[in-house]
Amino acid sequence: MKKIDIACIIDDDPIFVFGIKKMMQFANFCESFMIFKNGEEALNNLKAIIDSGKNIPDVILLDINMPVMDGWQFLDEFIKIESHKLITVYIVSSSIDPRDKDRVKNYENVSNFIVKPISIESLKNISKELLNN
Amino acid sequence: MLNPVQNLKPTKNSIYLDFIEKNASIGTWEFDLRSTSLYWSSETKKIHEVPQNFEPDVKTALSFYKQGDSLNKIDKAFTDCIEKFEDYDIEVQIITSTGKEKWVRAIGKPLIENNECVKIIGLFQDIDEKTKNAKALADKEDQLRKTFENALIGMATIDLRGNWISVNKSLCETFGYTKKEFLKLTFMDITHPKDVSMARQAVFDMINGKINHFKTEISYMHKNGRTIWASLSATIIKDKSGVPLHFVAQTNDLTQIKESTNRIVKLLDTTENQNKRLLNFAHIVSHNLRSHYSNLDMLLDITKMDMPETTNNEIFPLMEQAVSHLGETVENLNEVASINIKKDLKKEPINLLESFDKISASIAALIIESKTKLCVDINKDIYVEAIPAYLDSILLNFLTNAIKYKKLNETPKIELHASIKNDYIVLKIQDHGLGIDLEKYGDKLFGMYKTFHKHEDSRGIGLFITKNQVEAIGGEIEVESEVNVGTTFNIYLKNYEKN
Repeated sequence: MKKIDIACIIDDDPIFVFGIKKMMQFANFCESFMIFKNGEEALNNLKAIIDSGKNIPDVILLDINMPVMDGWQFLDEFIKIESHKLITVYIVSSSIDPRDKDRVKNYENVSNFIVKPISIESLKNISKELLNN
Repeated sequence: MLNPVQNLKPTKNSIYLDFIEKNASIGTWEFDLRSTSLYWSSETKKIHEVPQNFEPDVKTALSFYKQGDSLNKIDKAFTDCIEKFEDYDIEVQIITSTGKEKWVRAIGKPLIENNECVKIIGLFQDIDEKTKNAKALADKEDQLRKTFENALIGMATIDLRGNWISVNKSLCETFGYTKKEFLKLTFMDITHPKDVSMARQAVFDMINGKINHFKTEISYMHKNGRTIWASLSATIIKDKSGVPLHFVAQTNDLTQIKESTNRIVKLLDTTENQNKRLLNFAHIVSHNLRSHYSNLDMLLDITKMDMPETTNNEIFPLMEQAVSHLGETVENLNEVASINIKKDLKKEPINLLESFDKISASIAALIIESKTKLCVDINKDIYVEAIPAYLDSILLNFLTNAIKYKKLNETPKIELHASIKNDYIVLKIQDHGLGIDLEKYGDKLFGMYKTFHKHEDSRGIGLFITKNQVEAIGGEIEVESEVNVGTTFNIYLKNYEKN
């Protein structure tokens, strides 16, 4: 079975990052990770990576509520970066506020809104969706 | 007895006279002072309702006049006529032979011979109907005038150029002008500038026959400059051929109603604001508690996969159950928070210094570890009116923030000072820490999940909750800050004074 190459996780919560990495390993989700603690850090690094054209992630799992630059602010900037490679974004948040779910619809390269806690099953579904495209 | 007219042969003149007498209800009479004989024409007899063969004399003639005013008047006029040779023409009341009261016009003229009045000739006219009509008309007019003047609604008649013809008391009272001042103004002068063109258009439309009346809500200007809200109804009055004459306007002062409406709108705004806050609270519950719960849930999952051998005991399933219950509780809490109306929490007098001491004791470890220097200047007699849990949370938040955002390589120094200002206690909390760029973040400072420092445990929630709590107990927060100099918060809390 084909496997996702690089998964990017943008989240300020170290417990979640630790957990999702473990889960991804169990689910045999990807070859490698890229982890950023907030939107700003992610944006600066991803810009450079996309410019260089090497090691561009296939998928981004993005948290909403983060210090310095939150998920929405990140998205607003991120969609301005031109990339020849398709990067699919999933919002992964513990928010169950319907306003957040509605807001996702404004971004066409955001595939889905996943409410934490994330399970092995949902990781497998993401993997399936990505490889089928 | 000599009867001069009767004795005359009917001539052309006397035929005319008869004609006039009959049609104008005018009788004639003649009094000869020498013979003291009195002659009444047939019309005069008709007016008195006596038979044609009735023979009057001065005494009976006078007895027909109504006692009082009428009798006095005729008596004087008749005497003056004889003695002073004065003509008379008066309106008096008689009582006819059938007992009917009648208004008559009595005219008398003396004939003088050798400086002596020898005869009086006169006319007698039935003016009863005319007088009664005029009197009724006057009564009606008076009634209308009183209605107009005393109506509680403001009323006016206005000419076609917008000048007042008449205004009533209520209108003058509404606008604060005297009648005299009012009549010098035009309709446009008292109309609020924003409504002048609307009113002018309506006036044109009525003059041009497009509409016959006009009803609207309009704003006027009181003599003292304040705005008056009123409902206005105006009608154009035309003559029989349809030519416009003037306008009649009615004005009902709605200012009080409008003001109460505004108060209600304000109340609604406040309520809406509170609802928004409640929603934000739901969001906080949803996000913060849920994120911890989901981490716990995930860690348990990982444990099952990574170390299945550690789960094979009594404790692990219980832990799983507890975490799952936590998840449910958070879910329920979120639901309750979003649908339940905020229950009124009770405010009570709290000693500010005691409250502060309690809070600083609760974080004694943090204060000692960070080597924080606290300078506290709060009078022990100051009491504030607050919800205890809120006040604790407010103090804790400002204190921990001030410690947290200290300058690098410096120990925190925090100064607290309480003063009385009007109905408030102003608690000033000054740190000498990092400071916040207010120009950049000022409007976001008290927003939810906003953080301005890359601090490990910045959650961006403290100030948001704190502001909500301060406002919920009737207070306010002011902030002054400069980057690398420090931040000062002035917290206004309701002063509690023992009566």
